[in-house]
Amino acid sequence: MKTLGEVIVELEHVSKTFPGGIQAVQDVSLEIHRSEVVCIIGPSGSGKSTLLRCINGLEDVDDGRVVVDGIPLDKKKVHRDEIRREVGMVFQSFNLFPHMTVRGNVGLAQKRVRGRSDAEANDVTMELLEKVGIADKFDAYPGQLSGGQQQRVAIARALAMSPRVMLFDEATSALDPEMIGEVLAVMRELANEGMTMAVVTHEMGFAREAADRVVFMDEGRVVEVAAAADFFESATEERARDFLSKVL
Amino acid sequence: MKLLLRPTAKRTYRFLAEHKTGLIETAQFLALSGLTIVAVVVGLRGLRYDWAWFRVPRYLLHVTDDGIAAGTLLQGLGVTLQISGISLILAAVFGLITALFRLSRSFTANALAQVYLEAVRNTPLLIQLFVIYFVFAPIAGLAPFWSAVLALSLFEGAYASEIIRGAILSIPRSQWESSYTLGLSAPDTYRFVVLPQALRKILPPLTSQAVSLIKDSALVSTIAISDLTMSGSATVSNTFLTFEIWFTVAAIYLVINIALSLFASFLEKMVRVP
Repeated sequence: MKTLGEVIVELEHVSKTFPGGIQAVQDVSLEIHRSEVVCIIGPSGSGKSTLLRCINGLEDVDDGRVVVDGIPLDKKKVHRDEIRREVGMVFQSFNLFPHMTVRGNVGLAQKRVRGRSDAEANDVTMELLEKVGIADKFDAYPGQLSGGQQQRVAIARALAMSPRVMLFDEATSALDPEMIGEVLAVMRELANEGMTMAVVTHEMGFAREAADRVVFMDEGRVVEVAAAADFFESATEERARDFLSKVL
Repeated sequence: MKLLLRPTAKRTYRFLAEHKTGLIETAQFLALSGLTIVAVVVGLRGLRYDWAWFRVPRYLLHVTDDGIAAGTLLQGLGVTLQISGISLILAAVFGLITALFRLSRSFTANALAQVYLEAVRNTPLLIQLFVIYFVFAPIAGLAPFWSAVLALSLFEGAYASEIIRGAILSIPRSQWESSYTLGLSAPDTYRFVVLPQALRKILPPLTSQAVSLIKDSALVSTIAISDLTMSGSATVSNTFLTFEIWFTVAAIYLVINIALSLFASFLEKMVRVP
């Protein structure tokens, strides 16, 4: 196991209840350190995605505290704006901008938020597209790409902001089986380069190989947190063992 | 004989079978055209009207010492196009602002937009025109031309705002979410992500709104503006060519609106996303 860097994401007793009384997240505390890869796994509806969305403020927490790289996620707009600039997110359904080319998708926030010039943005975009293996799709529209290619563009788009932490919300769940591999490969490479990552996934193989720690959630609560190897070899909690026996 | 006939009959039968729908369509079309022509001819005979189409062209174009100049009707068309053109742009502006007001969280902006919408959509355009022309224009020192532009753009803007609002709401929440996570500001999200996508959905309904605007602009003839309809009306009083002039005026509106629709579908193709 790597030596732990400083804490980048800090969740303290976070709770989130949706209108209608569904308690999506209940009293979750979690720390993610620099360069750490944390996989959040668990059955559907266990609050994994909601927890992830609490980290960058896509969901407001009802209780508890969220701190990202020293910035508290509170009502202050400056804090919120800084956090969403510094936290990259990749969605299950890619969410590319369909009316823009790949260049436009990856370049927009670089220019509008980071203030890069067209030329600088294009250079960064090209570099990132090469990294995710689709440099030839520079001028293509999302509608002309496969799911796997679209998701790799989405990853490049998030990376273009040089985020301090990347969130992956079931990034491979909407993909055909043969495309899952190409996206996981990119994620694995990122992990190896020392990117801090919080990954909600159903890909147990990825969690076992790439994760430093695994967080197992059920019914909105964190049931078990363990080093990836330990978790898959010998989960301590009954509920986690039961889940693993079904998915492995 | 038999040997010669049989293949021909077979071929005829096969031809009929293969082109059944086409033949039926053709027959229907010919029958309808025939009936229409008969109806028009019978109707015109019954009118006992003395057609004088040859007297119409001079009201479109007429020859002067300096060459060819626009006749009364084309001059009126110029005014109609000016009023409609300016109103169209203003209506889009009013529509966009009202839509954004209604989507905003501000109570005041919402109330303002709502009052404007309900007032404009639930009263006749003719009355709005009169109110602006007879009440507001003297107070504000507004020329009749601008009273007309204001009334038309306020009226069509209200309808445009609902079209624009609907299109903005139809953009999936996920587009907002990905813009949010990239750190884009709300104005930037509107400008670069939401509105460009909404625009593509707005174009077809907004075109029919523009067509409505051009037709509704005929009402400005009631406040002493010599638009196409006013010019037509004046020409009819001078010449008693009632049918010829009104048919011509209608044809001019038709041509302009068809041209507008063609332009809109060209635009739609231009901005279509691959």
